[in-house]
Amino acid sequence: MTLFEQIADEVQKGHSDSVAELVKEALSQGIPAEEVMNKGLVSGMEIVSEKFKNNEIFIPEVLISARAMNAGLAILKPLLVESNIQPKGKVVIGTVKGDLHDIGKNIVAMLLQGAGFDVIDLGADVPKEKFLEFVKKEKADILGMSALLTTTMLYMKEMVEALKNEGIRQDVKVIIGGAPVTESYAAQIEADGYAPDAASAVDLSKRLLEE
Amino acid sequence: MEPGEIPVLIISEDTIPRAYERAIKEVWEKGASIKTEYDHPEDPPSKDATVVIIVRQPFGQPRFHRSFADGLGGLAEYVMEVVHGAHDYWVKPVEEILKGKESKDTRWTYTYHGRLFEYRIEDKVINQIGYMIDKLSQTGYSRRAQAITWNPKLDPPTDDPPCLQRLWGRLCEDGKGGYVFNLNSHWRSRDLFKAWFENVIALTTLMRKIAEALADKTGKNVRLGRYVDISDSLHIYGSYFKEIEGDPKKGIRSFFETLESRSFEERTWDSEFIKPHFIDDGLGKGLRRMLEREKDMPQNVRRAIEEELRLMEKKDYVV
Repeated sequence: MTLFEQIADEVQKGHSDSVAELVKEALSQGIPAEEVMNKGLVSGMEIVSEKFKNNEIFIPEVLISARAMNAGLAILKPLLVESNIQPKGKVVIGTVKGDLHDIGKNIVAMLLQGAGFDVIDLGADVPKEKFLEFVKKEKADILGMSALLTTTMLYMKEMVEALKNEGIRQDVKVIIGGAPVTESYAAQIEADGYAPDAASAVDLSKRLLEE
Repeated sequence: MEPGEIPVLIISEDTIPRAYERAIKEVWEKGASIKTEYDHPEDPPSKDATVVIIVRQPFGQPRFHRSFADGLGGLAEYVMEVVHGAHDYWVKPVEEILKGKESKDTRWTYTYHGRLFEYRIEDKVINQIGYMIDKLSQTGYSRRAQAITWNPKLDPPTDDPPCLQRLWGRLCEDGKGGYVFNLNSHWRSRDLFKAWFENVIALTTLMRKIAEALADKTGKNVRLGRYVDISDSLHIYGSYFKEIEGDPKKGIRSFFETLESRSFEERTWDSEFIKPHFIDDGLGKGLRRMLEREKDMPQNVRRAIEEELRLMEKKDYVV
């Protein structure tokens, strides 16, 4: 097993300490940080994502793998910033104001990160002002919004309107998801896409950035 | 079963994960097809049954199944919500609750902890769990030690009234000079596939807290007896069917194939594995992160969770 395969394997198993050690070992061998990230961490999370999509593993297992990936990323991040390595895209994500449910959003954030996106997770109960602030400040490619309640879902429409009023709607793709959200609701509020589950949200994000 | 009749299923297993798997299998295979208020129009009707589940060893290992709709840190926070009232401060004022569906306030209408520990009636606030402990420590064999959640004034107008209805406990002599604490929980309605497991982890943790309080009060050893979980409607929502059935054409496994592809040990975790994740899951959740994140949490609740954290950091404490 190569060092990259070992990192990917330990990510899948959710062994944070081993991932951190192997990442350090790879760096000590002079392997560039970007290569360690893509061939080790991202490769491991892609397998996790695929297994999750195919119902082979469960949500808590995905999150334990994400934790292991983060242990490696924490070591690589300063080096990636130093070398000005660009992520696949930048995503600002959060559960909308009034809604405290965040598990679905968290899984999407983890899988996006695992697919090589830079993810800025604003948490739950996020007001318009905060979304706007981070979309502008981070020059986000994608804004992801989640809601679990029919009452809070309506805030997504307000958020799309807020982007228009700020004159930045064309600068950012808007994707939405959550139990009550549907494809037709996404079309109705003029979002760029809807994902019924976390794995589809990653595919959707990749597709939107390729457009 | 005649058309129109709801099946009644009885499941008895040693541990929570064993009971959970069997319940999913039995409701899937034997449940009636019934439409629920939460089904989308395009969803098939839910699978539904009245189910009694007996868990003979609530803290028997492995105690945790790997299939549930949250992370381990999130589960730890939910346990704190039920046992210590971590999110009682997210509940909206009574005047907003009474507006029912007209209310624009998206805060919660109840928490289980709020109803069990601070049930509001007229101008009184009643700690029903405190009553259960007092009652059973005085008269262990009493049949009156119960705590309800339903509020007939506040709950009917809301979209999301409490599923748990009642806890009932009884203390029996163990024949060795000590006691056994038995707990029954009664549920109006229950999402089996995405809520049952987390509910039971929280309620059995509360069960242990009550048993500890009873041991303190009686000065005798109190061990945990069986936990019985009774749901009028235990269901698998139609919207979950794709997850349960999988899609062989796309290579997506059914839930049952996933279970069969692994040993029981590979689809569960024991408490020792879980503990560090409960403390801090490395993804912003868990007791430590919760205390950092939730600045508005009342001080008394914060202290209770800090104490819980101290207990979890002890080697022999079982979550």
